[in-house]
Amino acid sequence: MSDLATYSAQFERFANALTAAERAPRSVQFSRFLASGFPDKHVEDWRYSDLSALNEHNYEPDVAAADHLPEALLADADALVYVNGRLLGEPKHGQWHSDTSELPPPATGVDALNAAFASGGLRLRMDRGTVLDKPLQVLFVSRAEAQATMSHQRHLIELGDDAQAKVLLDFAGDGGERLATHFFDVRLGRNAKLTLYRVQNEAAGGTLVTRIDTRLSRDAKFEAVTIDLGGGFTRHDLDVSLAESGAETTIAGLYAQAKGSHIDNHVRAVHAAPHCTSRMNYRGLVDEKTKAVFNGKVVVQPGAQKTDSEQRIANLLLSRKAEVNAKPDLEIYADDVKCAHGATVGQLDEIALAYLRSRGIDKDTARAMLLRAFALQILDRIEWPALRARIEAALHLPAELSLDTDA
Amino acid sequence: MLEITNLHARVEEKEILKGLNLSIRPGEVHAIMGPNGAGKSTLSNVIAGREGYEVTDGTIAFEGRDLLALDPEIRACEGIFLGFQYPVEIPGVSNMTLLKAAINARRKHAGETEIPPNDFLAWVRDRAKLVKIDPKMLSRGVNEGFSGGEKKRNEILQMLVLQPRLMILDETDSGLDIDALKIVSDGINALRGPERATVLVTHYQRLLDYVQPDFVHVLARGRIVRSGGPELAKELEEKGYGWLEAA
Repeated sequence: MSDLATYSAQFERFANALTAAERAPRSVQFSRFLASGFPDKHVEDWRYSDLSALNEHNYEPDVAAADHLPEALLADADALVYVNGRLLGEPKHGQWHSDTSELPPPATGVDALNAAFASGGLRLRMDRGTVLDKPLQVLFVSRAEAQATMSHQRHLIELGDDAQAKVLLDFAGDGGERLATHFFDVRLGRNAKLTLYRVQNEAAGGTLVTRIDTRLSRDAKFEAVTIDLGGGFTRHDLDVSLAESGAETTIAGLYAQAKGSHIDNHVRAVHAAPHCTSRMNYRGLVDEKTKAVFNGKVVVQPGAQKTDSEQRIANLLLSRKAEVNAKPDLEIYADDVKCAHGATVGQLDEIALAYLRSRGIDKDTARAMLLRAFALQILDRIEWPALRARIEAALHLPAELSLDTDA
Repeated sequence: MLEITNLHARVEEKEILKGLNLSIRPGEVHAIMGPNGAGKSTLSNVIAGREGYEVTDGTIAFEGRDLLALDPEIRACEGIFLGFQYPVEIPGVSNMTLLKAAINARRKHAGETEIPPNDFLAWVRDRAKLVKIDPKMLSRGVNEGFSGGEKKRNEILQMLVLQPRLMILDETDSGLDIDALKIVSDGINALRGPERATVLVTHYQRLLDYVQPDFVHVLARGRIVRSGGPELAKELEEKGYGWLEAA
């Protein structure tokens, strides 16, 4: 049996249930997948996240019916829940989900695989000038089944001119052996504003690949906060295209993963028009027996004058054996631009630790206080108290206290 | 209260303390003076249990217990406080968080429950007034953006909040202008009492005008070479340390 044979068998079964018109474009995608397979370390962008081991895997399509509601829903948000790729229950607004999706051209083998098998997913289309009254929590649950399973979803978020929304993409898993791929097509109209949170807290055992492609029109604002906890094998791509002048993006992220995990973040801001602003601020808490990869790239295309960009990456190694591959990257093809970048890798401040201990605070608590202090720059970006509280609890960090000076 | 016998200690292979003896009883204020490099800061740090200081010989007993066997946080919970010469800045950990964690660590150690939030706020606010620290500054990171004088006043605030039994102040007076020196001295004097003892480690006699010591010791070449009353400090101010170092 050659490589990818199991995928061919699964695709054949899958495609047989489709009409000829549905089948044709997917077959094209699947051929592309067969031609390239999963990306391996020879693909520069995947150097540290070789997926080629998946070539020999056999993932069944999901069969289990999604049944009960998970408890991870936030009280102050509307929710859309997918369990193993299937919609659970009826969303409050029927139009938030779609069973079909467009298929943009794939970039890698895993993109093609996603496109070939793609089922629908989130479809948030907002008319011009409308504002989502509550944040929308889209929960993706991976649950173990008797056999290894896979699901592939494509999602759309489209905000018309002046529209505003706050969306949480929330990935949780119990560590069952699964492969889940998600592609998000995000388009922001003129002066639209999207606040996007992407939180990943999967248990070890699963493989998760996400790609978020975002295109900003004139004066649009895209604020993203990504948080990686947990222990699975995860690869995230976040691409932001500042396509028209005046567009702004702020991307902040924290990776603080559990042992045994592999988390690879590739974040890219492309300045395709003049007078756009991008801010990228990532922080990592990296322990031993984990693999953390961060690749932050800013591209300033020809003609994108008056670009204002900044990227900061800071990593804290929690053990002498911890390892991180963090790379800031800058490609500039315009001459009148302001681009700053910096990356640091350091260890816990022993002097600060000694100071806290000298005040009676035990070593573990003192350590947790300092880790929280390091993560604070990112946590402060989460302007959603219930979500922030949930993340802080997952990080096992002590709560901050402020003095009420008016009391 | 504190009994130091034949203490030898080294830092990075270099022997700094070479047979130091010191006995402190409750209610006393001791000043330890001496030239730079004599081992004053090493002595403070060894008592507080700072890592990186290796005791090669001798003993330190605190209220009859072997202090050297205790972790620094346990020493603090037992009532030892070290005011640092160079207080560290810790962005992201607010002063209030530090104070609350420190109080509760001590209470836990003593088998008590956590301090009620309102009691805590009132307790801190009153003490902040004593050292003229604006409570708003306490929401900031520990010493973050504080001036040199504010950092030292913040050390004294922590001391007032934690109410230690043995206070060791390592060059707390250095770099202070006269107003700040007065505030710091008032803070130290506010805690003077029959149950508490103070060790003032200082280079200059100036602080001792405000905080009257019972005993003055001269530390030179790793041991105490002379002890006396407050008049010894005056003598040192006039003559310098040379005559003792040569002795």
